[in-house]
Amino acid sequence: MDNSTILETRDLNLWYGQKHALIDITVRIPKKTVTALIGPSGCGKSTLLRCCNRMNDLIDSSRITGNVLFNGEDIYDGHADAYAVREKIGMVFQKPNPFPKSIYENVAYGPRIHGVREKGALDRIVEESLKGAALWDEVKDRLHEPALALSGGQQQRLCIARSLAVEPEVILMDEPCSALDPIATGKIEDLIIRLARNYTVVIVTHNMQQAARVSEYTGFMYMGELIEFDETSRIFEDPGEELTENYITGRFG
Amino acid sequence: MAEKFHAELASLKGDVLAMGCLAQGMLHRSMEALRTQDAALIELVARDKQRIADQDHEIEQKCLRLIALHQPMAKDLRTIAASLKTITYLYRIGRYGKDIAAVVPELADAPHAGGLIGIPQMADIVEGMIADALVAFEREDLTAIRGIEEREEAVDALRYSILRECLACMTENPETIARCTNYIMIARYLERCGDHACKIAEKAHHMVTGERIEIR
Ligand SMILES: Nc1ncnc2c1ncn2[C@@H]1O[C@H](COP(=O)(O)OP(=O)(O)O)[C@@H](O)[C@H]1O
Ligand SMILES: [Mg+2]
Repeated sequence: MDNSTILETRDLNLWYGQKHALIDITVRIPKKTVTALIGPSGCGKSTLLRCCNRMNDLIDSSRITGNVLFNGEDIYDGHADAYAVREKIGMVFQKPNPFPKSIYENVAYGPRIHGVREKGALDRIVEESLKGAALWDEVKDRLHEPALALSGGQQQRLCIARSLAVEPEVILMDEPCSALDPIATGKIEDLIIRLARNYTVVIVTHNMQQAARVSEYTGFMYMGELIEFDETSRIFEDPGEELTENYITGRFG
Repeated sequence: MAEKFHAELASLKGDVLAMGCLAQGMLHRSMEALRTQDAALIELVARDKQRIADQDHEIEQKCLRLIALHQPMAKDLRTIAASLKTITYLYRIGRYGKDIAAVVPELADAPHAGGLIGIPQMADIVEGMIADALVAFEREDLTAIRGIEEREEAVDALRYSILRECLACMTENPETIARCTNYIMIARYLERCGDHACKIAEKAHHMVTGERIEIR
């Protein structure tokens, strides 16, 4: 593993009961870049994403073999703490899921759990996180209003701010724009590109143009396997595998 | 949607090919007119000038529409890119045909010097290059353009020998100066048409393989 790899899987396999959902996945995610995962529904994109921060622990039927290394350390190692992992490797979901609390409390929630009590410190974290998620200007005058009163796109950026508040290194996003209109989507895309200056972003998307717009690397998955992983320009202009070509040009099935 | 798009892409390639036939026809007729002084042919070429300009616009429009509506990727995208470039080259080839046809009347006053000194031979090679580049594009068959580089070199060599012959001719007999200047110009146009055929071949190669090559 070299310095520029932050997250890596080695021969990762996952089963849900009898269903073999991930097959021998070996991939290295470069640090401070945006990596996109594409592929038809059910190919295992969300499963792979969830493996990267141990969200699959929450599914009883799932069983894995192989390794997932974060900064060189196996996150499934007996010593690793799933909660600590999920803070360093945050997740943003398809449907924005803010807590039914105020905007401020949504962002302050994580730091509070970590024992940040002092109001000044919390205020600073909230402001920084909201700025980081490109939401501050829109909400700074109504921080104590309910988060659920925000628009869908704002809620999604709030969820991103919430994950930034606990100082993650990696942010996993599972189809973060699929519930949003084109304008809100455009804002999230701009944000993703900006986030990659300081964080590593892995995004699952159904929208290939979105993958092409925001990511530097793209992985194409098919039926549980990672078929191809390469620079995004290469994947979309001249992929190496026929399966990839057929998928991105819509010649599938 | 994907199916409709791919049907439209196939029809786009058909349109490019049709434009290619038109461009080639213009060049071919201009050479026929040069040989025969047939005024009707000159007329036809002049008329095709507007048609080829229209096709250029229509195909470009179609390409832009396909990009905007379908946001194509990979080979589909390369096909559209190759089409956009190819029509520009074809348009220029057609224009050269028109330009050649336009000077034919100036050459009507006397028989051709030296049996047109290699110009018909040059035109044959160039027309073959254009045809094969179009076959490579349409059928995605790169064997058609194998060896196009050598033909390009042959065209260059012919142009040079035409130039030398014309110079000799003009020194010997100054009355042929106007005539030979036109021959030199025609040879220059034909050579440019051969270059455009090579560019079309390069685009076809990129479309098929994703790799860029440079033919000389
Ligand atoms: N909790 C689960 N239990 C059983 N099977 C699941 C579960 N989650 C996903 N799967 C199956 O695993 C495969 C991969 O799913 P998923 O990772 O959600 O695919 P994607 O995100 O690419 O659409 C699918 O066949 C899906 O049905
Ligand atoms: Mg999914």
